[in-house]
Amino acid sequence: MTTDDPDLKYDRSLLGVDHDIGTYDVTKEMIISFARSTGETGVQYLDEEAAKNTVYGGLVAPPTFCNMFVNGVSRPDIKLEFGNVGLFAGQSIENLTPARPGDTLSAKTRLKEVYAKTGRSGKMVFAVWETQFTNQGGDTVALVQESFVRRNRSTR
Amino acid sequence: MYLDLHTHSVSSDDSRANVEQYVKWIGVLRKKGHQIDGFVLTEHRKFDFDKDYSELGSENDVLILKGSELDTDLGHFLVYGVTEQLTQQVDFSDVDMDALKLIEIAENTGAVAIPAHPGRFGIGLTEFTGNGRDFSALRAAERFNGSNRPGEQERAEEFISQLGLRGTGGSDAHLVSAIGKCMTRFDGDIGSELDLVAQLKTGRFEPVWLDDTKQEQA
Amino acid sequence: MASAVYYDDVDLGDELPSMERQVSDYEVVEFLNIARIGEAKENRFTSAEAAKSEGLPEAIVPGAMNIAIMSTLITSWSPTVTLRKLDVVFRGMVLHNRPIKLTGLITDKDIVDGSPQLECDVVMENEEGTPLVIGKATVELPVRE
Repeated sequence: MTTDDPDLKYDRSLLGVDHDIGTYDVTKEMIISFARSTGETGVQYLDEEAAKNTVYGGLVAPPTFCNMFVNGVSRPDIKLEFGNVGLFAGQSIENLTPARPGDTLSAKTRLKEVYAKTGRSGKMVFAVWETQFTNQGGDTVALVQESFVRRNRSTR
Repeated sequence: MYLDLHTHSVSSDDSRANVEQYVKWIGVLRKKGHQIDGFVLTEHRKFDFDKDYSELGSENDVLILKGSELDTDLGHFLVYGVTEQLTQQVDFSDVDMDALKLIEIAENTGAVAIPAHPGRFGIGLTEFTGNGRDFSALRAAERFNGSNRPGEQERAEEFISQLGLRGTGGSDAHLVSAIGKCMTRFDGDIGSELDLVAQLKTGRFEPVWLDDTKQEQA
Repeated sequence: MASAVYYDDVDLGDELPSMERQVSDYEVVEFLNIARIGEAKENRFTSAEAAKSEGLPEAIVPGAMNIAIMSTLITSWSPTVTLRKLDVVFRGMVLHNRPIKLTGLITDKDIVDGSPQLECDVVMENEEGTPLVIGKATVELPVRE
């Protein structure tokens, strides 16, 4: 990639540095709303009583639940000098431990890389962040990698 | 011989397919009666000199070659027959490189550069035809692309027809199951990148859709 | 409810049951309110005007919601399935109240560190067949005893 591309102007001191981005209390209501709004049908996500009879033994959050938190966090400003529109370009989430009601998740994030490419809308610059969610017991709940793109507003 | 001339593995930032899985999937296609002899990895803005898939290929009777897809001032270009000499003269990470210069350097270093998905909005050569540039140095263009959106295939066909170019085919696969969606049928045998360049220079090839390979076999 | 699927039952090339749906304005607002993402009254996810002011055609579905919807293709397939990893690329904007189709295809099958795993290509496309979100899911299925 072109993380070292001298033409890309951004705060390089952020690369690879962990930043705490907050803690999140998981509630039953959040889990059920998340499942309902995204179309989940499994009782382990929607029905507290019925969930007790599943392999999970109780209500658990759907697999991509933690993404909801990274979508709303304030990250360090990388001071990228390019583009005037920002969009979500891609994401991966690896689930290691189910999140449950009553959990308190803490998250830390780091800037992995910044690079440029061209696409249907012209030149684009991508910033890739890695975020780790850990529960109150120290177990890693999810590893999330997100890619954000900045481009110039379309004139088409 | 049927080769998919445009594929991306996880070495490209926007692909989620690995090379081993492509090879397995080719086995699935062959079981269904399709003909596919191999593919060319054309990673975005890079050439993986350090990666060697010859053993994987020979174990599975699949030819795995390497090329590159570069971003230029005239849209994306596929480059076949990449050499160290070429990478010394062209900065593969430059997203605004001079396409005509790329074609020239490629020719001088034993490679071939052709426009990828010329009908694509934003990054296809048809977007840049109005600036009086001379495209006579082009040997061919990618006529069939498996990732085209509505309207883009028609734009490519029209452009290639107007310039009288030979056309190749490639799936532009970024997922495992997309490989082979379209390919290029060569008259001659190909066993290496050098052979591929030689065949591209002969002009004896045509683009095919995957379903066409099944019909021909039957 | 979907029937139980086992590792032994599936093979490369098998298709997952496809899904068709639309994402309503209400669902987007409900999703945004969960983590208070949408506290700003109008934004690109809730308002066509706000979206247009950013050069977007209409209000769009948030990326985090899109990946969550993609995951339902896996989780609704079978009560026996566990989604280990979902890795997607957003290739087009997902708009409110438009038909979308989710499809999946098994592309690999292997025992990894003792765990029976599948890899699946997953795609969300619009009614023209244009892929909006593409990706790969790594899932576990139990082996029949």
